[in-house]
Amino acid sequence: MKYETVIGLEVHVELATKSKIFCSCSAEFGAEQNDHVCPACSGMPGMLPIVNKRVVDLGMTAGMMLNCDINRVTTFDKKSYYYPDLPNAYQTTQWFSPICVNGRVDIETSKGPKSIRIKQIHMEEDAGKLVHDDWTDTTLVDFNRTSVPLIEIVSQPDISSAEEAIAYLERLRDLLRFAKVSDCRWEQGSMRCDVNLSIRPEGSDVLGVRTEMKNMNSLSAITRAIKYEIARHTRALETGCEELVQETRRWDDNEGKSYAMRNKETAGDYRYFPDPNIMPVVIDDEWLDRIEKSLPELPEVKRARYIDEMGLSEYDADILASSRALCDVFEDALAVCGNAKETANWIITECMQVLNKKKMTADMLAISGTSLGQLIKLVMEDKVSRPNAKRILAAMFENDIPDVEAYAKQSGFIVSNDTSFIENIVKEVIAADPKSVADFKGGKEKALMALFGKCMKQLKGNANPQVLREILIAEINKI
Amino acid sequence: MDIKTLSRLQKLNQLNLTETEEKELMDFFAKAEKDAEILATVDTENVERMVYVMPMTNIIREDIAKKLYTRDQLQEQAPEAMDGYWQVPRTVE
Amino acid sequence: MKMYVAETEKSVKNIVVDDMILTTDMPTSAGSRMLDGYMSLFEAQAVTKLKEAGYTVYAKANTGEFNLDLLGETSYYGAVEADGKLTTAAAQAVKTGETMAAVTLEVNGSGARAAALSGLVYVKPTYGTVSRFGTIPAVCSGETVSVTAADAATAKEVLWAIKGHDDKDGTSLPQEKCVADEVKEIKKVAIAKSLAAGEDAAKLEAVKAKLTAQGVEVVEIDAGELLLAKPAWNILMSAELCNNVSKYDGVKYGYRTPNYTDLDQLYTNSRTEAFGYLTKSTVLFGSETLSEANYYKVYDKAQRIRRVISEYLMKTFGEFDAVLGLVSSKSEYTLAQAQENKYIAYDESLYIAPAMITGIPVVVTGGVQLMGAPLTEAALLALAETL
Repeated sequence: MKYETVIGLEVHVELATKSKIFCSCSAEFGAEQNDHVCPACSGMPGMLPIVNKRVVDLGMTAGMMLNCDINRVTTFDKKSYYYPDLPNAYQTTQWFSPICVNGRVDIETSKGPKSIRIKQIHMEEDAGKLVHDDWTDTTLVDFNRTSVPLIEIVSQPDISSAEEAIAYLERLRDLLRFAKVSDCRWEQGSMRCDVNLSIRPEGSDVLGVRTEMKNMNSLSAITRAIKYEIARHTRALETGCEELVQETRRWDDNEGKSYAMRNKETAGDYRYFPDPNIMPVVIDDEWLDRIEKSLPELPEVKRARYIDEMGLSEYDADILASSRALCDVFEDALAVCGNAKETANWIITECMQVLNKKKMTADMLAISGTSLGQLIKLVMEDKVSRPNAKRILAAMFENDIPDVEAYAKQSGFIVSNDTSFIENIVKEVIAADPKSVADFKGGKEKALMALFGKCMKQLKGNANPQVLREILIAEINKI
Repeated sequence: MDIKTLSRLQKLNQLNLTETEEKELMDFFAKAEKDAEILATVDTENVERMVYVMPMTNIIREDIAKKLYTRDQLQEQAPEAMDGYWQVPRTVE
Repeated sequence: MKMYVAETEKSVKNIVVDDMILTTDMPTSAGSRMLDGYMSLFEAQAVTKLKEAGYTVYAKANTGEFNLDLLGETSYYGAVEADGKLTTAAAQAVKTGETMAAVTLEVNGSGARAAALSGLVYVKPTYGTVSRFGTIPAVCSGETVSVTAADAATAKEVLWAIKGHDDKDGTSLPQEKCVADEVKEIKKVAIAKSLAAGEDAAKLEAVKAKLTAQGVEVVEIDAGELLLAKPAWNILMSAELCNNVSKYDGVKYGYRTPNYTDLDQLYTNSRTEAFGYLTKSTVLFGSETLSEANYYKVYDKAQRIRRVISEYLMKTFGEFDAVLGLVSSKSEYTLAQAQENKYIAYDESLYIAPAMITGIPVVVTGGVQLMGAPLTEAALLALAETL
């Protein structure tokens, strides 16, 4: 018999906020254990939750990027269960009235385009992190991630293969990163995915037994897990070697196997109820408009505009449109200097080189596009030499430079237009190196380059190379 | 309320009752459920649930991070802690 | 008297707070072995406001576990008896003149009952007018920081010192509402017959006589709707308590059992050994009201009943300036009585449940309660001063 696969995905995304969802602790990743913790997010009594407005902003932004309806009145509920990573023994989430419903994500697959429907997006708090210590055979608890804001994006069971699941997740990641909802880093756990999967005879409209798989932290792990689970379900249905039960399973990527999770007896009895400490959030037209206006152009729209209107190559447009940070710097810089090709080059070649050296990704490009535009303009006007411009760029990565020309002047990076000054330098260099002069006159072109280099060094790079070359040849010819 | 449900409830809430307590609680369930029968006589189909006795909306704060407590302060009363972590018996998934 | 006294010098403006209100110089235990000796890193907004107003918060009065009980009898530290009668440590401190007032967290009526039985004045203000920041959460949708004093003027003075908007409490009302003290003259009062049956019916008659003598019109009404409050409040209270005390699991602070080898035993034995029976039974009952099978039938129903009661009271306050009723069925209780009937707090919640479930203000004076519309506590206290 031929089977078809039915998959729904629950994607958790940590929101790009400065502080946690209900307390003011920092939400930044990578702190020392339990350094971003307060009485509220470590389960001590007496503090009350106050909703972080930015969380609602980003929840709405995500909903709009995924074509959802925004619920104008949205509320928070408590979900109870015991686990050491949940200090209050309840998670505050949205059960009765999530912020977004009924969305859609369009994906491209080898079989053509497809739409995956979104059931809902809800806001909630993250749980902490458990570390197992083999020396003491205990579990160590870190509450830094506790109460970091999350959205959970729940798809309808519209996905029918690992390929579609990956296409959906990649598209989701692009859209959310573009809208600055989240940095969506699988490796840091800021994007996570649970897979609900069942199989049924092809053409059947009855759903099979569904299992939920957790703990996959990369796209390749998700692909492997889905393929494994499809095979397990198929084998169970065909041979009867195993009875399929509705359960939560844990994916072990090292072993390439999924395991039923323990504690089934009380699992799923979460006793949701509305949190009386958190008043409803009411989203009015003004709030909705503000978020709508802040939405970015979609990456593919930007890419097309960069090619069609700005004349960039497909290669350059692809690179720029792959990251919102690159697009922002590009567009801001272009607005100042007016040369798209030149701006693209500066970002793709020079900025990327600095990022690579710093082991940073394109998304982490945080220099001011306006400053970069000023710099490019100075180079185009021959006011700053290229090598010096690169030095200024490097400085921009360290500090904000709002007035680049003033900075260039102050640092002695402005090209000299004073030809008599250049002539004097050239004369000094020629006088000090008669051998190179003789070599050049004897036909050695390389000797000219050596002299040129010495002059440029004396001039600290602040000369138009063309002008310097002309003066140099003229002065040599005078001898 | 039956003993099987009560035993499941205890598991769910991480509590153990003695047999005497179980019996007492079963009696209480019976009593409270009987008292609650009066609620069923009120038609509430068109009544909105009341979660907040003094309702307001949009009690929200700006996204500003602050550090008010140190890890040592928070773990001062921890029954067991190690290297800045709270410590529990090994969890099994 | 069971109290923890801080090493603070006493002044003329001494205040006792109860064991549900967090302080940083005295432990806060919620009357529970679970939090025995627990020191909070921060103090309640009410405590901060008291200090700012020049009061000395000098002692911590013992409470029943999470203030769920009749009169403090479930405390890990033992009950308080005076002349063979059960009372609370807070009320006893006021009654003996040890303190000018007690600030307590009213959860299930023990504060109101203790004041009524001790002949003190008590005020539970409108929900949201005193910050709950820094109180041990038990039943967040109804619990309210309250004041007990020897007379109405002192109760008012201390209450107005702790009232006020607080950004740290998401249910805190705007400042102008918190401190509203417009005193509308009380001309018409209703006696709720549904809350009038009990040993102290004579006290109700005495108050009625005084009111009538002052020219206030007193009318008896059935108020059968108020009988819905006890079972509905029991459901909502238990569910919220279940959720709020689940954080006490022996992991982060507080009691941890010595008897465990795995996580499950750590949780179960810590909670089983540290919680008293009333807390355990309330948790289990509350948990069941929220189960998938019961949620709409039981919990959601109780939330709708809460609105029915609230609307009934609003309608009644359209006609009457205050509603009178008793606070308990008996005029005194012994420790033995409270220990014998494990559900005595539930039985007696009949009287206070209407105000707890709707958040309306209550003033206890002359052994009876006066309920008023939201934000009328100033008028209720002004009337109490004349009684």
